[in-house]
Formats: sequence, C-alpha cells, structure tokens
Amino acid sequence: MTPARPTSGARLQRLLSMVPWIAGHDGPLVSEVCERFDLTPEELAADLEVVWLVGLPPYTPDALIDVVQEGERVWIHYADVFASPQRLTPEQAVALLTAGASVLALPGADEAGALARGVAKLAGVLGVDAEQVLEVDLGGAGAEVLDVLRTAVRNRRRVHLDYYSFGRDARTHRDVDPYRVHADDGSLYLLGHCHLAEARRRFRVDRIATATLLDETFDPPELDAAGRLFEPDDDDPRVVLRLASAARWVAEVYPVESVEEQADGTLLVTLAVAAEAWLERLLISIGPDGEMTEAPTEMRGAGARAAARILARYR
Amino acid sequence: MSAAKLERLLNLTALLLDTPRPISAESIQSQIEGYPREQASFRRAFERDKDELRSMGIPLHVERVPGTMPAVDGYRIPREEYALRDPGLDSDELAALHLAASAVQVEGLPATEGLLKLGGLVSSSGGGDLGVHVTPLPADPNLGVLFTAGASRTPVSLSYRSEARIVDPHRLDFQRGRWYLTGFDHLRGAPRNYRLDRIEGAVTLTDLPSFAAPHIDVPGQARGAWELGAEDPIQAVIRIDGAQARWVVQHVGPDRVRGDPALEGSEDDSVVVELPVTNRSALRSFVLSFLEHAEILEPQELRDDLVRWLEQVS
Repeated sequence: MTPARPTSGARLQRLLSMVPWIAGHDGPLVSEVCERFDLTPEELAADLEVVWLVGLPPYTPDALIDVVQEGERVWIHYADVFASPQRLTPEQAVALLTAGASVLALPGADEAGALARGVAKLAGVLGVDAEQVLEVDLGGAGAEVLDVLRTAVRNRRRVHLDYYSFGRDARTHRDVDPYRVHADDGSLYLLGHCHLAEARRRFRVDRIATATLLDETFDPPELDAAGRLFEPDDDDPRVVLRLASAARWVAEVYPVESVEEQADGTLLVTLAVAAEAWLERLLISIGPDGEMTEAPTEMRGAGARAAARILARYR
Repeated sequence: MSAAKLERLLNLTALLLDTPRPISAESIQSQIEGYPREQASFRRAFERDKDELRSMGIPLHVERVPGTMPAVDGYRIPREEYALRDPGLDSDELAALHLAASAVQVEGLPATEGLLKLGGLVSSSGGGDLGVHVTPLPADPNLGVLFTAGASRTPVSLSYRSEARIVDPHRLDFQRGRWYLTGFDHLRGAPRNYRLDRIEGAVTLTDLPSFAAPHIDVPGQARGAWELGAEDPIQAVIRIDGAQARWVVQHVGPDRVRGDPALEGSEDDSVVVELPVTNRSALRSFVLSFLEHAEILEPQELRDDLVRWLEQVS
C-alpha cells in the first residue's frame, strides 16, 4: 500500500478510528498502535496530546477523555462517546470488497480461508451478500498452472510450458524463466524470459495447458510497476493501416508505433507484425472499418485470405 | 490541520454524537472552545466544520430544535447512523484483507481508511505476497452510489444512451478491465447490463419502493463480453475446434458446453458451446479470434452477420 501522508481530514479520521481501538484494548504497546495506524511515535504523541483535551460539556477534568501512558503501553479511558469507529463510506466498502473479491476469484483461492471469512463478516455488517453484489474477474487460469507459476516466480525456478500461441495459432513447448504473474485488463499474464525465442515474452496464463517446475534457477531483472516487457523486434515487418472512426480503438489497444490524424477523419497507424496470424486477426476484427495501405508483399491481402478461409466453413 | 482545529472538531463530533436532541448553533458556539465570538466569523467557521465532517461521511443531521417558535435549526449525529457495527474480525482475517487491499487497488479509492476503521493495518504472519501483481483497477464516480443502492435495494435513476432509465441495481462486475452494472431496467421490463463508463452523469437514488432480492443464476461464473451489452438477448451456438477447446471451456465455463463437458483425453475433439448474447459485435470478435477454427452454428441471423462482415474485409 502506498501510504499518503495524512491531509487535514485524514488526521481527524485516523483519530476517530484509533481512539476506539486503543480504548477497546487493555493497554496495547505504543509500537503496535503506531504500526496499525501507520504513525511514527512522534505523530502518535502529538495526536494523544489532542485527545487529552477532548470530552463533553462541562469539560471539567472528569468529563474529558483520559490518556495514560506508562512505559511502552498506552490506555484510553472515558471515551464512551467514541466507543465505535465510524462506519465505512460506500467508496471504502467498494475498495475493500473489490480487493477481497479479486483475490478470492483467483483460481485456487482458499474458499474457507481467512480472507473469505473476513470478506463474509465485512459484507455481513454492510448488509450485503458479497458474492452477489460485486464480482471481479482478474482473468482465468487453471488452478494447478497458476499454483506452479506462483511457486516458480517466488523460488526463481525455470518452468516448462505447453502453450497455445495465439500469435502463431500453434501449440508450442518452451522453457521460460518466470519473472512475474501479472493481472492486467482482465487477463492473467506470465512475464518472463523465453528460451525458445531467446527474448522476453508475455504469455496468457489461460492458454498454458500445463506448467512444469524445472530444477534450473535464474536471477530476475527489475520490472517496472506496469511490467512492460514487450518490445517489438526491429526486424519485424511494419504495416500501415487506415482506420475509420469506428476502428479508432485499435490505436488504443494495440502497440502502434505512430498515429497520423488525416483530414478526412481517418487515422493512419503503423504497427510491427510479429506473426502473420496476429495480423490476420487484427484485420478481420477491424473488418469494413479499416484497410491495410502499406505492407510487405507477402502480407498484402492477409485479411482477405483469412476471411476466405473462415467463409469456407459457412458455404 | 492544526491541533486547535483538530481539538475543536473532535469536541464538536463528541457533543453531537452524545446529544439525544438537536443542538442549536448558538448553543454549540457557547459550549465548544475555539469558535470566534463574532457572529459572522463564527458562522463561517461553523459552516466549514460541518462541511469537513460531512466530507468524511459523518451523518450530520439538521433538525428543528424542539419547542422553538419560529423554528431554530439544530444539529446532531445519530449514533446508530454513525457507528460501524463491529464485524468481529479476527487478526488473521484483518491481515488477509490488508494483504488483498495492498495487492488489488482501485484507483482513487484508497482502502487504508476503511482498514483503520476495522482495526488498523495488520501484517500477515504467513508472508505478505499474493504472488500476482495486479494493475490498479479503474474507479468510476458512480461505484459508491450503485453499491449503496444495491445494498439497500433502492432503484436508481440514470441516463444511458441518452435515455433516462430507472434500474434496480443487482450487481457490479469488473470484467476485462471495465466496470459493469447488471440490473432490472424498468423501461425495458427486463434485465440489462450497463457499462459504467457509458453512464451519462451521476446516478441518483430514487424514492421508489425497494426491490426484492435479485435471483442471480450462477454466482461466481465470470461472463463474456458478449453478455455485457444492452441488446435484446439471443442464444448463439458455436463450434470450436479441438486445439482451442480446452481454454474455451475454461473461459466460458463448463456449464455452457453442449454435451459432455469433460474434455479429458479428447483434446483433439471440437466442443459446441451455447452462449447468451446481448452484445453481437463482441460475439463476432470472440468467434473471429479463432480464425477458421470456430463456426457459428445457430442462429442463421448471426451466421449471416458474420458472412457479411467477412465479405467486406479488404
């Protein structure tokens, strides 16, 4: 979690959570309070200075909250008015239930584990059935495959994959040094070094039929948060597509190298083509909303050829 | 926030939580230390404080002070609306929620403040690594109100495709990088799906009577993009060749497979799946992603659509 330093309101909110917690426990350690509420000992001391001055009319000493600090421990007494923390805002509830539902939806998640119990209790006080009101799909995978991949990433072990390559439209066997399992845009990916391609590659986890742990180990590189790895090969051929407005999404979804806005409202985009089947799929999904204006000789008409093969099934 | 202001806001919250009857601004000014004596400055300071408490989601009510004539506004915070019912989370459960919230973040919706209310940030004893790195999910400004409406079963009013609609919000789904709402559309008299990023403007709660608990067929079953549309539903039957059969079954769910869904030992055999479609172009993209390894068998309408589309590929 990235702890943003509290803004004005955040300090008040934190106190409204912390006071009931300390009051409800019999002298917790200062260090534990600091860890739970993300505070330095100095910040905690400053907050407790304020709590000491809070209470109810007539604000005589007996009507104020009592803070006692002895050695490493701290007590709060007479804070009945703040006996409960504030209820969650809808946004806080959504954030927590989304996180819980996401992790529980990962293949192989423990349906009776601590997270499942925690989410169910939380949903209970929110008055909802967690499974029915909110669902998150981070991407599919075989539970066994995902389990092997997570183990391999954690232990820096090489894996052998039986993988259906979408780009090549073919089943392949390859050894991979797995760097990270990454959930992005509704799919799970394995990022790693592929020994078949001798390059970094990204694999859809749901297209891995089996993954086997090998004995070899490796040293993973540093990855950025987005896990960007895919760099088109300089030798890959380039094509230029003209896109009508209905197909402008291509420029957002595909790794285009350049985009030129045309006077007639169309877009000219340049893409590197790593595999012919990949280009065929792109062209037939664009359909009548685009055309290929430049391509190496062997790729010209790729869309029409793919369309003809598919049409043969319908005639 | 200065210590003096923090002290004043805490004392204000305590006073308004403690009182069973609404308290007038004048009485607040005389009781709480730190407010200016001069009326105009006090009013400004008090307005800011009220805004501050409300922005934190504190239910600050304005009610008539009993027995006043003419009516005088009074303030209170009903404790039953303010307080969190204690979910009684065990330490390992709180740690698991913390780990999940650290791994899966919704942009602009920090989970930290929620966790603090539940008992703070507790570290997991079994190591703090989910083993999956998750790109933060996008937020949507209407997520909160739709969640509230779903939890309280309150119909909402929203604008979609330039049409004002009344919807019973049943469920929020995050699929393929987007948020969707499934609900019952009063105008259509049928269940519909809506993309949250295509809802125009703010969703509002209506004062219509609450709706009955929705019946949801297969909780836990992820849905395909072809189901996430607002078109009239139609059933599509698709044959997919052997090489892709395994992951298709995984993708659409075994209950969508016609005949024997057990694929063990039949890797080279094709499967036939039946899919409910409310988004025809998403179905077309799905089928075409298999190139010549898939075929729409029924209905004829969708076959014809696909043929027309392919004939226009240049």
